[in-house]
Amino acid sequence: MSKTESKGAARVEEAIKQLLPPCQIKCPINEDIQRTNVLISLLPEQPERAKDQIIEISDYLYEKNPFFNICGYICGLCELECNYKTKGGAIRRRLLKRFLSDVYTEHLSEKEEFGVVKDKENVAVIGGGPSGLMCAYALSKKGYRVTVFEASNRLGGALWLIPSYRLPADVLSTTLTNLVRIAGIDVKYAARLGEGKLTIEKLRNDGYRAVFLAKGTPYPRVLTFDGEVVEGQDLSGVMYGHTLLYEVSHGNIGQDYFEGKRLIVIGGYNVAFDVARTARRLGGDVTIVALEAEDKTSRDGIPADEEEVTAAWEEGIRIVYSRGVERIIGEHGRFRGVSCPKCTSVFDDQGFNPKFDCTDCLRLEGDTLIITLGQVPDKAFLQREELLDEKGRLVVDPFTLQSLRKGFVFVGGDVRRIGFMVEAMKEGLVAAESIERYLRGLDMREGRKRDYEGYGIPVRKSYKPDVEVAWIPPEKRLHFQLFEKGLTLKEAREEAKRCVTCGPCVSCKACISIGFEKSLYAVEVDVERCSGCGTCVYACNYDSARLTEVEGNTVSTTDMFKCKSCGMCVAACPSHARKLVDDSTEQRIERVLAVL
Amino acid sequence: MKHYEPKLVCFSCKFGWGYLADAEELRDRIKNWVPIKCSGKIDTIHILEAFRQGADGVLVLGCPEGDCHYQDGNFEARKRVYLLQRILEAYGIEKERLKIQLSVDPEGNTIPQIVKEMSDAVAKLGPVRKTRDRAKASSVARR
Repeated sequence: MSKTESKGAARVEEAIKQLLPPCQIKCPINEDIQRTNVLISLLPEQPERAKDQIIEISDYLYEKNPFFNICGYICGLCELECNYKTKGGAIRRRLLKRFLSDVYTEHLSEKEEFGVVKDKENVAVIGGGPSGLMCAYALSKKGYRVTVFEASNRLGGALWLIPSYRLPADVLSTTLTNLVRIAGIDVKYAARLGEGKLTIEKLRNDGYRAVFLAKGTPYPRVLTFDGEVVEGQDLSGVMYGHTLLYEVSHGNIGQDYFEGKRLIVIGGYNVAFDVARTARRLGGDVTIVALEAEDKTSRDGIPADEEEVTAAWEEGIRIVYSRGVERIIGEHGRFRGVSCPKCTSVFDDQGFNPKFDCTDCLRLEGDTLIITLGQVPDKAFLQREELLDEKGRLVVDPFTLQSLRKGFVFVGGDVRRIGFMVEAMKEGLVAAESIERYLRGLDMREGRKRDYEGYGIPVRKSYKPDVEVAWIPPEKRLHFQLFEKGLTLKEAREEAKRCVTCGPCVSCKACISIGFEKSLYAVEVDVERCSGCGTCVYACNYDSARLTEVEGNTVSTTDMFKCKSCGMCVAACPSHARKLVDDSTEQRIERVLAVL
Repeated sequence: MKHYEPKLVCFSCKFGWGYLADAEELRDRIKNWVPIKCSGKIDTIHILEAFRQGADGVLVLGCPEGDCHYQDGNFEARKRVYLLQRILEAYGIEKERLKIQLSVDPEGNTIPQIVKEMSDAVAKLGPVRKTRDRAKASSVARR
């Protein structure tokens, strides 16, 4: 009966020579994408039999990324660099992961705890978002006693701001609860640092030898124009997108809250679209005002994902491009409208520096204004803890995330730099590595920097189009249930099969995991037999077999970093000069033929 | 006439054939079965050796067109089989004794059936008789 193995020789190795498939380089935490793709493509057809194997594949993913079943709904960064992108569409890795997630999320509550003996130092993690939890997870697996200090009453941080039509709340809460249970992480709720007596100094006195500060960005960014705060943000009817998403996620907002209201949402990032689409689902008539241009390919193009823009448009949301907001118009303390001058350019060579043509001014009327321009960290707290410089910037080594003011404090996640969930997770991992080095007295930098080089796409005679992503039609999806359909087992197998496995074998080893091979065989060339004819070069599909000069003779060699141990060069060689070391195929054939 | 059952050797690609089955059980159902990582890895020598050792037929099972994990191993195998059929014919071994099928069956349930069908076809040809000694001699010379 087929099953996958993830121990011993079947474990992937750290990429030697830093060669990886491009998707894996794009993923901030370098998830083993190719391996999962291959294993999914080999799943049994019957759902019942596939289930056990899906859990095995997922268990392996989980070790490296305990958030993978959330990534399956909201991430997909890897797809941006897929070599297949120009050949028929990137491999839908996100949906493949969601496919695993659909089975694995249910299984999570039965998953056994790691049971690691916690015999190392106490570490405090401040903030229970993706960055803090990832750091806690990594340290906890190494035997550190980790306590997470969470300000609110639930873990997850900004993940809760993702609307549930994109990420179902039960998937999120199941993942979080089980993560701390499985890894054995202590959590203190309603423990807001900087409030009352709880300070970093107190944590240190309480025996926490290192602190990872991942408090995120709890406050909304206010609307400014030409460097000045725009007045009227205190009018009745003006709110921040962040607040709306927070309240919706807590179930504090009725389902027809915006019925009959005209809303204006300011912002061009994904979160602004989350807000607009949420408001639309609450019955509002929504217009988005974005500073950026419609053409995503230009320097000033809108930063939100194309999928978000399309979905918003389908759901009947108007998008006004290339407009800033110079004035908020109020009447008797109530919001009435905004005045929007034409934005002629957003970025210049120095960075963000919007220019406006105030003679071309559009006035938009509305009942509610939702400002969604991003979030900012709790500067006052950071100031009190003396982690900022005189200009109010965090003083942190960006490579190790160690604070330059307090050596036992490490800072990462959104509080340092706002980014995608997986980028925050990466910071958590970096901090975990730094904390371990710090507590073990090791060098903080040595051997950590990795520059990866991507592989090109292997050649195919034909390429297949990607699986169609199915969305519920717009008129039927104005609710908070998932609007995207997941892949069926058949679709997942087909989609995964499209992966052309660009990467090297050491970072995959799917064939060993599934038991096709015992190890990755090296190709050996017998130079005495090799005539340098080059047949192997022709047979090799991976640019691995090459001809070189050795003492005046032309002989063939194999680049083991590119070799897939497929054995085609061995079969093609007319003079038996090539063989796979330790490969037992020849003996197996001999044994069968011997009994004929 | 005595019932004659031909000896068939079956090579199959692991990525497409029978990897989901219980290997032992399937081995009992398919005589002389050799799963190989890729059909492109099957050497002409392996096939010739099978005939030399007394096989009456050789069956190669590869992945469907365009599905080879190693890009074109199945096409290589097919090319090799076609060329080899010509050579075998020159030695008086009918080309029907060597067959390749590019398809997929992870459960492997159809393999015994495919082997049986080929076996029936080969049975009509009878054993490889006249040329066996000659093939033996030429194969020894090659080694």
